[in-house]
Amino acid sequence: MRIGEVTTPVALQDALVRGRTGASLLPDLLVEARRVASNITAGWHGRRRRGIGENFWQFRPYVEGEAVSRIDWRRSARDDHVYIRDREWEAAHTVWLWADRSPSMLYRSRQAEVSKEERALVLVLALAELLARSGERIAWPGLMGPVSGRDAAERLTGHLIHADAGAPRPDMSAIRQFNDAVIVSDFLDAGETMRWLTPLTRAGARAHLIEVADPAEESFPYTGRTEFRDPETGEKLTAGRAEVMAEDYRRLYLARREELMAWCRKLGWSYTVNHTDRPASEALVRVQMAMAEGMDSPP
Amino acid sequence: MSFLPLSFASPMILWGLLALPVIWWLLRMTPPRPQEEVFPPLRILARVLRPEETPNKSPWWLTLLRLLLAALVILALADPVLNPRERTSVQGRALAIVLDNSWSSAPDWDRRVATAARLIEDARAGDTPVILALTAERPGQEIGPFDAATALDRLNAAEPQPLPPDRPAVFGRVAGALDETPGATLALLTDGLAAAGDEQAFDELLWADLAEVLWFDPGTPDLFTIVDSSNEPERFVLRALRPAGQDMPVRATAVALDMQGRRLAETPASFGPGDVSVLAEMRMPFELRNDFASIVIEGQNHAGAVHLLDENARRRRIGLLSQAEADQAQPLLSPLYYIRRALAPFADLLEPSNPDLTKALPELLEQQPAMIVMADVGTLVPSVHEQLEEWVRKGGTLVRFAGPRLAAAEGDDVLLPVRLRTGERSLGGALSWSEPQPVTEFPPNGPFSDLTPPREVTVTRQVLAEPSVDIADRTWASLADGTPLVTGAELGEGRVVLFHVTPEATWSNLPISGSFVEMLRRLVQISRNQGAAAASRNNGGSLPPYRMISATGALVPPGQDAEPLAPGRDVPVTRANPPGLYGSEEGFVAHNLLKPDAALEPIRVPEAPVPVTRAAYAFDTARPLKGMLMAAALGLLALDTLAMLWLGGAGRRFRLSRARGTGAAAALVAAVLAASLVAPSDGLAQSAQPPQEVSDAEAIDAISKTRIAYVVTGVSSTDAITRAGIEGLNRFLADKTAFVPGDPAPVDIATDELSFYPLIYWPIDVNAPIPSEEAITRIDAYMQQGGTVLFDTRDEFSAGFGSGDAVTPETRRLREILSGLNVPALEPVPEDHVLTKAFYILNEFPGRYRGGELWVEASVNAQSRVDRPVRTGDGVTPIMITSNDLAGAWAIDDNGQPLLPTVPSDPMQRVYAFRAGVNIMMYMLTGNYKSDQVHVPALLERLGQ
Repeated sequence: MRIGEVTTPVALQDALVRGRTGASLLPDLLVEARRVASNITAGWHGRRRRGIGENFWQFRPYVEGEAVSRIDWRRSARDDHVYIRDREWEAAHTVWLWADRSPSMLYRSRQAEVSKEERALVLVLALAELLARSGERIAWPGLMGPVSGRDAAERLTGHLIHADAGAPRPDMSAIRQFNDAVIVSDFLDAGETMRWLTPLTRAGARAHLIEVADPAEESFPYTGRTEFRDPETGEKLTAGRAEVMAEDYRRLYLARREELMAWCRKLGWSYTVNHTDRPASEALVRVQMAMAEGMDSPP
Repeated sequence: MSFLPLSFASPMILWGLLALPVIWWLLRMTPPRPQEEVFPPLRILARVLRPEETPNKSPWWLTLLRLLLAALVILALADPVLNPRERTSVQGRALAIVLDNSWSSAPDWDRRVATAARLIEDARAGDTPVILALTAERPGQEIGPFDAATALDRLNAAEPQPLPPDRPAVFGRVAGALDETPGATLALLTDGLAAAGDEQAFDELLWADLAEVLWFDPGTPDLFTIVDSSNEPERFVLRALRPAGQDMPVRATAVALDMQGRRLAETPASFGPGDVSVLAEMRMPFELRNDFASIVIEGQNHAGAVHLLDENARRRRIGLLSQAEADQAQPLLSPLYYIRRALAPFADLLEPSNPDLTKALPELLEQQPAMIVMADVGTLVPSVHEQLEEWVRKGGTLVRFAGPRLAAAEGDDVLLPVRLRTGERSLGGALSWSEPQPVTEFPPNGPFSDLTPPREVTVTRQVLAEPSVDIADRTWASLADGTPLVTGAELGEGRVVLFHVTPEATWSNLPISGSFVEMLRRLVQISRNQGAAAASRNNGGSLPPYRMISATGALVPPGQDAEPLAPGRDVPVTRANPPGLYGSEEGFVAHNLLKPDAALEPIRVPEAPVPVTRAAYAFDTARPLKGMLMAAALGLLALDTLAMLWLGGAGRRFRLSRARGTGAAAALVAAVLAASLVAPSDGLAQSAQPPQEVSDAEAIDAISKTRIAYVVTGVSSTDAITRAGIEGLNRFLADKTAFVPGDPAPVDIATDELSFYPLIYWPIDVNAPIPSEEAITRIDAYMQQGGTVLFDTRDEFSAGFGSGDAVTPETRRLREILSGLNVPALEPVPEDHVLTKAFYILNEFPGRYRGGELWVEASVNAQSRVDRPVRTGDGVTPIMITSNDLAGAWAIDDNGQPLLPTVPSDPMQRVYAFRAGVNIMMYMLTGNYKSDQVHVPALLERLGQ
């Protein structure tokens, strides 16, 4: 009896509904807490005052005790004082969302409730719902520019319906400094992922990586003579006795995850693993927390 | 299946071959279809799993192998028979079988009978009368027509005869019988050799009224015969013959047997490509050669391979006596010179060492000569005369030559065939009217009757016989004027012959003519045949059959058909005179099947007015192939198993060489297949590995440094110790002497070139396999050529103290090895041997053990003198034997520390062991030089320094 199966791409409307459901489960308090923490009053525009933002606000003299890294050396060089560059507080934050919809995501094992793609879309749409509800701007690289509004999630869904699911990974160069990006994928190839996301590091954006993993991928429950097929390339491998290589495989699989995690930690990004046999909300909470933390400290 | 000589006992099973595609499909499915799984992280898995070890179908050659296996099994089950018996249809109204049962049909007689029996069986089916004629039977044999059963009985009763076929007579009778039954089928089962009168015989037979002719192609018979032999001074030469048309190089072995059938000598007769006749020789002492009674070619069971010898083939001793003083300065005037030259090629000459006749004659008679030649011996001392007369009466042949002394002697002598007139007669001299006389025709009563008289011979002087009644009978050769030149008379059982001229060229030029040799040779021949001559005298000139050669080449008592043989030169071999020995035990004449001028020509297919159908002798050609195919299938199965093993396990290890391996496996499959199909019954290929050829570079490499060699026993611990020991000795040698040896050379005595090494150290290890005979031979050759082998049994204390003569396994092994070698006499190293002084002065040669003697070749001729410290003597001992485990004492590790303790543990003993090694090595390299070196002070002193 087969352990895993290829699923059909999920109906997006359905996913949106479930995303909303998932999002509704999240206590609004959490989002609220983030706002409190970042001293945001409700509002969609810049506050005309200094704070966390993307645009220049003012230079002001350095006060003893402030972080030296915030000194604007170019301005300070003009006279004898040391200045600090303040940015305008922007209320709305741009969060770029992207979910992997490649064939490798169309996979569900017997131990899992849902396919990886479904989980990824639910996560993304839930986040979109959450963020939109909070007044943040959401965007989808290569598909939709930053949009704010309560119906941003619906609009995203609309775009996604018409988008080509098999499209290659989008260009990330549109993402700019101080933007947040939430990337949901299975990140099966660590090296390729790092290469792809390098523009983000250069742009100075912050990313939250959510790895959607099927439990069968991680535990490798296969035994006996098994022919494995890659859903992306169609490549086939036959293992005479699959159980004998489970140990090695698991080691490599986890090593890949460790590598990505270490890379993200180094960049100050978050990395969340969500197994498809676990509720989506777990990941949602963690990402929410991570984004909130990020808001906490000035970039 | 008509295009192949192949038939199947149960051809229905061949339909099973249709299952092959199914099997092919099934085989393609293996290994069993795996559980298919979608697996996104395949790339990670791929790093764990090797894609190349998981082919999703069997490799093509494995499939092929298995298909072949299945096909072989199916074919085998169909029970194929190669060369099945073919039915020969007999179309004629009668069947005439003419079967050669001559000597050359004997080797494959069964096959001929089987072929003929098949024909008769076929005739029985058609109820056809059968005419059965055998060509070597009596011409009056009953030839039928018989009914099939009678013909079969007669056929089975027939036997090959040691005779040539008599085709004209038998064919004539068959032709006569065929005239009465027109329209018959004629089956000719010939022996494959042409005989005289074949053409007419075939013509007569084939132009009878025939329906068809079946010609059973005998091919070129695979026979070897001996047609001639001669007993030469140094060797026995025989001429072997094989039928023309055989071109393959072949090596036959000729064996000489004595009267009792014991094997005395053998020699190979190698036929080169296209050779029909070859000479082979046996070099033996002539006493042995004289015992040869027959020459036989081994493995040939027919009469032609046997060549019987009689007295004529024996070499005889001939004593030479002369009273002339031996004048070495003028050999051509020596009376015995020409006699010697004439007789030496076919007799063994005895010349007394003492010129005194009273001593010379007994000396000669002691050696029992067959003939004594006396050159110009006049009067004989009575005692000598008596002895000589007694010897002649017992069968000796005395040949005398005239000369001044004889001419002057008293003419009435019983040892002369005729009475002589005193004095000689001179012809053509200055005071003579007569011309020098030529020799006339040889009278028919003498032994020279068939020689051509030498017209060029003239006689100027001779001794004359007194006329007497019987002088004509006694004259064996005479001059033109009728005076006898050679006379002979029988005396007792022997005979006395007188040449009326001198044995040198002074009286006549007879001695320098070729006839002289012929005449003497004839005399030698008659001197041998006394026994036979006696027999022939008793039986009115013909000899009774004594021993006959059977058709298979064995000597048997004469059969009922054999009749006495009238001896002569060209008596044909017939049914009345089959080949064999004629005479009696005392003397016999060999009557051989093949005369020296015989030729074995293959028979030609005769031309016939009716169609000639060629057929083959078919007997054992029907060959069931089932077992062979099954064996091949089993072999393939084993191969398949190996292939699976290789694919499953070994393939992972030898992944890199996979491509090559596949090719090799395919080649292996092909080779094994080919081998199993082509020659399944031939068994193993020749696996003897020849000794390696040494290339120049290797040879230069091997001898550019002097290296001590050791024999690789194959027991790794022993070999390691030996190597370490020789390395230790090398280091010691380099330290203490000017000799820096190269690395120890491990040698495999069976294959490696040994001559590069001065010394081979051979530790005897009972766990090592016993060296092969060839290896021992190589060691022996090495020792003969100047090499030295140092055997070390390493068992000095293994035997236990006081156990006396107990033999340790090592010693026993050493004895086994030495039993194959030419070991000289041995002795423990004597006190004054060079070995004790070659570098160090040593009294003993300890190794790890102390007390075992070092044995060397005994210096038998060496002089040991008190005033000399070293015995003299040449050469280096080819063998040294010790039991002290020298290498064990020498063995050091990389740091120079000894590997094994000495017994007893005495540091000095190790030093002595090294010194012993140095002495041995110095002795190897310098030989007896040291024994001369000790005299240097004395020499210098003597030189007056």
